[in-house]
Amino acid sequence: MIASIVYNIPATMIEAFRGRDIIVRSIDPAEILQRLGQDDLKRLAYLQILGTGGDIDSLMRWEHPIPVDLVIQHPESDLPLLYRYAPLIAERSVRVSVRVAAGFSNVVKLALSLNFAVKLEVSQPEPAAIEELLQVVNLYLHQSTVSQPIEFIHSIFWSFYNRTPVSLWTIQEEDPARVRYITDSGEETLSRRLAGAALKYGVASFIKEFTEELIGEKQECGDCAFFENCAGYFKWPRRDYRCDGVKVLFQTLRAAAGELRADIASFSTPGQESRP
Amino acid sequence: MKALPFSLVLLATLGCNAECEYCFESKSDHHLTLDQLSTVIQKTMDHMALNHFETLSIYWQGGEVMMMPPEWFEQAHGIIQEIAASRNRHVKNYIQSNMISYSRKWNRVLADMFGNSVGSSMDFPNLHRKIKGGSPKAYERIWSRNVREAKDAGIEVGVISIPNEQTLDMDAERFYAYFVNELGITDFQINTPFPGGSQNDVKTGFPLETHRLSRFMVDLADVWLAQGFQRGVRVGPFDQLLDYFVHGRQNLLCIWRDNCVNEFVCVDPRGHVAQCDCWVTGYPEYRFGNILDAGSLSDLLRNSDARRRLQARPGELILKEDCLDCIYLTICHGGCPVRAYTVHGDLFRKDPYCRLYRRLFQHMEAMAANLPLRRNEYPDSI
Repeated sequence: MIASIVYNIPATMIEAFRGRDIIVRSIDPAEILQRLGQDDLKRLAYLQILGTGGDIDSLMRWEHPIPVDLVIQHPESDLPLLYRYAPLIAERSVRVSVRVAAGFSNVVKLALSLNFAVKLEVSQPEPAAIEELLQVVNLYLHQSTVSQPIEFIHSIFWSFYNRTPVSLWTIQEEDPARVRYITDSGEETLSRRLAGAALKYGVASFIKEFTEELIGEKQECGDCAFFENCAGYFKWPRRDYRCDGVKVLFQTLRAAAGELRADIASFSTPGQESRP
Repeated sequence: MKALPFSLVLLATLGCNAECEYCFESKSDHHLTLDQLSTVIQKTMDHMALNHFETLSIYWQGGEVMMMPPEWFEQAHGIIQEIAASRNRHVKNYIQSNMISYSRKWNRVLADMFGNSVGSSMDFPNLHRKIKGGSPKAYERIWSRNVREAKDAGIEVGVISIPNEQTLDMDAERFYAYFVNELGITDFQINTPFPGGSQNDVKTGFPLETHRLSRFMVDLADVWLAQGFQRGVRVGPFDQLLDYFVHGRQNLLCIWRDNCVNEFVCVDPRGHVAQCDCWVTGYPEYRFGNILDAGSLSDLLRNSDARRRLQARPGELILKEDCLDCIYLTICHGGCPVRAYTVHGDLFRKDPYCRLYRRLFQHMEAMAANLPLRRNEYPDSI
């Protein structure tokens, strides 16, 4: 069975995409709820709320358990406002998406403490951001009060644990075989990150051709141990971005996954001990 | 429909038969009439319908709730059930009483309305709970007799206990033995005292000294684990914290929720609405409005400046205090607003028992970490 493509659309385009699987976004949750019809709910993956400025009263009263993705636009000023969204968790899963930029880890800490899942929107992190990412990795791996996934860290970790590669493009919902992003002006592209970019290849074949080109260049990606998971994700938009910091991050996750695998293997189930 | 209930702390009367020295309420002769009750329940159900709540949990308190006659509760129960049935809603009732006015004539309503269960309170040693014009000893004697009589009638009695200076000088094992072995109480909870309401000499000693209180609480947790845990004795907040650290279930005290404003409201017999019983009787400036006068409870809550200040508190604490650096933020969120306000005079400060909580969380986390080795020895509820 081939999963259909999910379209991330502005709320104004609900009618145009009726009958297709959708993610609906707006800065105003009330706008989304007003425009959604009963039949749309069956094909609605989640609501994406852009920022904390909208009126959430109607969303608080909305009885459909559709997940919500809250996109944090301004980490510093939006931080205390996360508490406003805490009641939503009683009826639906809530994810906070935050760009990896100075101070983002505070948003991650608070989001996790409110039992929100987290998605890190990462592009080409500079050394300071890598340091902050490593702190978040440490939080994810070792803090007992963390009970929600932090993507992309979570899926990469489990990919290492299960020894089953998962592409970062897929984890980050930028795989064109699964998700397409429709800009406010109606242009179809891969994601918000790539909106407005002049893609050299068509949307559908972008990742395939981009990764083949990176391999062909025989540069950093050519012999990278993490290419199966990364697939050149960090080489866009600048090809000359050095992945040293990112590799430390991946190495940390790979080592932790290996430790966990070894720990679990060292325990034997009572009654199933091997006999001498 | 929402799975969680809407919770209402309902003060049926502000009258009381006791004069406890650390009480934070302003007592009076006000009591709720059945007509007023009907209005309160109707408006609460309107609010529930708008917000898709299916179940209403009513926490009956006072004053002293048993100052109202049991016949009043029988009628109240009928009124509530009738309204709930007509609105296709469910209601659960809980009662918190000092048990001083308890007699067997309460048994029927306790069984029919409250599931044969009552919450009460007692300290050990009892220094500050007194009946009007009486001594702590007299209070303790009447309370013990009535609790025994209730238990003999098959009523479960849970107890809230407030430590005092002499409690902290005591061996935790002696404290535990008093409640569990001597009184047969198998469900009790330790609450921390705070200087709410009008001031007196006793309240000037609050908050209690954190270091000594922490040591007592940690010792008591250890005693409970060694002696009561496997036997099904519940001692709060240890049992809830252990449940959290073992299973991740956040069924924690109201002081440790992300924001109590999202969890419940309190209504007093004059119709005043506020966050909890301390706010509603002791701090008029923190009332949200009056449910008997308001067109709707939803509008009252939405338009209240006092409620907005309370809603903003945990977010403000993130900016002003060190809560964001605390690994236990998810089970504390800066603690209780009324404790902060009554100690610091400032709502936007963290709970004055912060260091106690951290010590307790650390201890219970470590305790939980050692449990899986012997998991098959422990009850499923934990």
